[in-house]
Amino acid sequence: MADWFDANLVSILNGFAIGSLLFILAVGLSIVFGMMDVLNLAHGALYLVGAYLAYSLLDGGATWGAFLGALGLAVAFGLVAGGTLSVMTEPLAKRPILDQALLTLGISLIVAEVLSIIYGNDVYRIGAPPGLDGSVSVAGNTYPLYRLVLIGIGLVLAVVVWLVMERTSIGALVRAAVADREMVSAMGIDNRKVKIGVLAFGSVLATVAGVLGGPVYGVRPGLDETVLLLALIVVVIGGLGSIKGALIGAMVIGQVDSLGRALLPELASFILFGALALVLVLRPQGLFGPKKVAA
Amino acid sequence: MALPDLSRRQLLGAVGVGAGGLALSACGGGSLGGDDDDNGGGGGSDGPIRVGLVIPQAGVYTPLGVDMEAGWQLWLDQHDGQIGGRDVETVTADEGEGPDTGVPAIQQLISDVDVVVGIVNSATALGVAELFAEEQKVLLIGNAGAVALTGDASNEYVWRVSFNNAQNSYAMGEYLAGQDIGSVFIICPDYAAGQENITAFTEAFEAGGGTIAGTALTPFGTTQDFQPFLSQIQGSGAAATFCFYSGGEAVTFVNQYDDFGLKASIPLYGSGFLTEGSVLEGQGPSAVGIRTTMQYSTELDNEANAEFVQAYEEANGSLPTVFAMSMFDAANVLDRAVTEAGDVSGDALVEALGGLGAIDDSPRGSWEFEDQNPKQTIYLREVVDEGGTLINSVVEELGEYGTI
Repeated sequence: MADWFDANLVSILNGFAIGSLLFILAVGLSIVFGMMDVLNLAHGALYLVGAYLAYSLLDGGATWGAFLGALGLAVAFGLVAGGTLSVMTEPLAKRPILDQALLTLGISLIVAEVLSIIYGNDVYRIGAPPGLDGSVSVAGNTYPLYRLVLIGIGLVLAVVVWLVMERTSIGALVRAAVADREMVSAMGIDNRKVKIGVLAFGSVLATVAGVLGGPVYGVRPGLDETVLLLALIVVVIGGLGSIKGALIGAMVIGQVDSLGRALLPELASFILFGALALVLVLRPQGLFGPKKVAA
Repeated sequence: MALPDLSRRQLLGAVGVGAGGLALSACGGGSLGGDDDDNGGGGGSDGPIRVGLVIPQAGVYTPLGVDMEAGWQLWLDQHDGQIGGRDVETVTADEGEGPDTGVPAIQQLISDVDVVVGIVNSATALGVAELFAEEQKVLLIGNAGAVALTGDASNEYVWRVSFNNAQNSYAMGEYLAGQDIGSVFIICPDYAAGQENITAFTEAFEAGGGTIAGTALTPFGTTQDFQPFLSQIQGSGAAATFCFYSGGEAVTFVNQYDDFGLKASIPLYGSGFLTEGSVLEGQGPSAVGIRTTMQYSTELDNEANAEFVQAYEEANGSLPTVFAMSMFDAANVLDRAVTEAGDVSGDALVEALGGLGAIDDSPRGSWEFEDQNPKQTIYLREVVDEGGTLINSVVEELGEYGTI
C-alpha cells in the first residue's frame, strides 16, 4: 500500500492541482446557472480572455508585477463582461433557458474569433511568476511548484466564495433572490442588479481562472471549448448552484483525469465521460444537487 | 496576379468554398468521369493552368496553411507566375480541420481545375483519393502523411511530394538502435498517424536489437495534461522516450516533459514535427536539446536551400518550415511534369511524373519518386538556441528512405 501510494503520489497531487483550477473555473458557471438560471456558454471564452491577458503581460518576462497586473486586468474585464452579459440576457429572461444559452454561445464564438484574429493561431506558453517557476521533489519525482501553489489558491478561493455566499448580507440577498424573486423586489431591491452582480462575480472567476491556468495549460485557440466542457462536467457532477458541489465535483474530475489515467492508461479516452455517465445514472441531480424548492 | 487573391477572399467568405465552387463549376461545365475533351477547367495546351490549392485556412492547422501558401507563392513569384511555360491561376480552397469540411471543398473544386495541390489532413486526402481516379486528374499531396495514400489506398493519379508517416520514425528507430541507448518508451496521440509512427519506430528499433519499455496512446486533441502519462514513463524505467506530436500538443507535451523533470533524466526524441515551425517559439527553452528526424531543416547546407531560405525570409519575414518547403517543391515538380508532358491532362501528367527522375534542385537535397512517394534523405536534427532564435541544427544524415 505504501509503495502504491509512493508511486502514485504525484498523480494524486496533480489531481488536486487540476481540481483546484477546475473549481475556480466551474464555481462561477455553477453559481450563475444555479442561482440566476443563465447557462453562460461564454464562460470558456472568458477563461480564454484571461489566458491571453496573462500571455500579453507575461510574454516580456514572467515577473510578479506582470502576473498581478494580469490578475487585476482579468478582474476588471470579468466585471465589465459579466455586467454586459447580464444586460444582454435580460430581454431573454422570460424565454426558455436555451435562448439565453444560444445567445452566450454566439458571444463566445465571436470572442474566440476576435482573439484568434488578434493573437493568431499559434500556441503560446505562459511562464509562472519568479519563485514559483521551479519544481520540488515529491517522493523522488519532480513536481512543478506552481501547481502545488494552485492547490492552495483553489482552497482559499473556495473558502472566500463560501463565506461571501453564506456569511455576508450580499450573499443573503443573492440567496433570497433565488428563493423568492417577488418578495425581494417587494422589499425595494432591484432583482436585475442582483443578477448583474452574480454574473459579474461568476465572470471574474472565469477570467481569473484563465490567468491562473496559464502556466499550466498555456494558451491556444480552441482552449475555450475544452475548458467549458470540463466546467460543465464538473457542474453536472457536483450539482447546480452548490459551492460545495463544485469543489467536490472539481476534485473528483481532477483525480479521475490524473490518477484515473495513470492507473488505467488504456481507458484514458473515456474515463472522464465514464465518471460523468456513472453520476448521471446513480444521481441525476448531481452529488450535491439543488435543494431549491420549486416556486 | 489579382485572381488568386480575389478568389481566396471569395472562398474565405461566410458562404465558403461551397457556393464559390458551385458557381465556378457551373460555368466550367465540369462533369463526373469526364472524357478526354472535358478534362480540365483550363482546357487546351497553351492557355493558363488552373491549379487548386487546398490548405487549411481555419482551425488548428491554420499555421500550416499559411506556410504552405507562402511556399507555393514563393516558387511562382520566382518564375513569373508560370508553370511549364504557362500562366497559373491558383484557386485556393479551405480544407478546414478534417474530412467533414475538406472533402466537400475538394469535391466542389475538382471539376474547375486541372490539378490539385496541398492537403494537410490525411483523412481528407484518403477521402478524396478515389475521386481523383474518377476525374482522371492529378493530386500532388503537399503534406498529408498517411502511409496508405501511396500504399494500400493508392491510385495512379495521387502523388505525394512531402513524406509518409513511417519514414521519419523508421529512421529514428534504426538510429537509436544503433546508439545502444537502452530501452525506449513510445508515446503518441491515439489516431491514425500516431499508430503509424509507433508501428514504424517499433519495427525498426526492434529489428536493430532495441527493447521497447512501454507504449502509451494519449487521447488525441483533448489531452491538456500529460502528467499521468509522464508518470508512466518514469515508472517504466525507460532510458529514452520517442514521441510523435505536432501543433498544440507538441507545445504542451514538450513543456510538461520539462516541467515534470523528465527532460534531464530521460532524453526526448521525436518525429521532426515535434519541433517544426511556430511550435518552437511556444516550447522555448524546454525544446533545446531535443533530437528529431525529418526530411528537411532550414540549416541544410546546400545551395538550393540557402537561396530558398533567404528568399523566403525576405518575402515573409520568418524562417521557412517543412510545410512551406513541400509546397515549393510541389510547384517545382509540377513545373517539370507539365514541361515534360506539354499538356495538363491527368494521364499525360501521370506519365511525366513517373519519368521525372531526381529532383536535384530541392531545398531538402536531391530526391526522387518511389511508388509515387518521395525517396529522400532523412536528417537527424537537434534543437539549439542560436542567439535567441531556436533552430533545428543538422547533426547527421541518416540515409535515404523510400517506401518502407
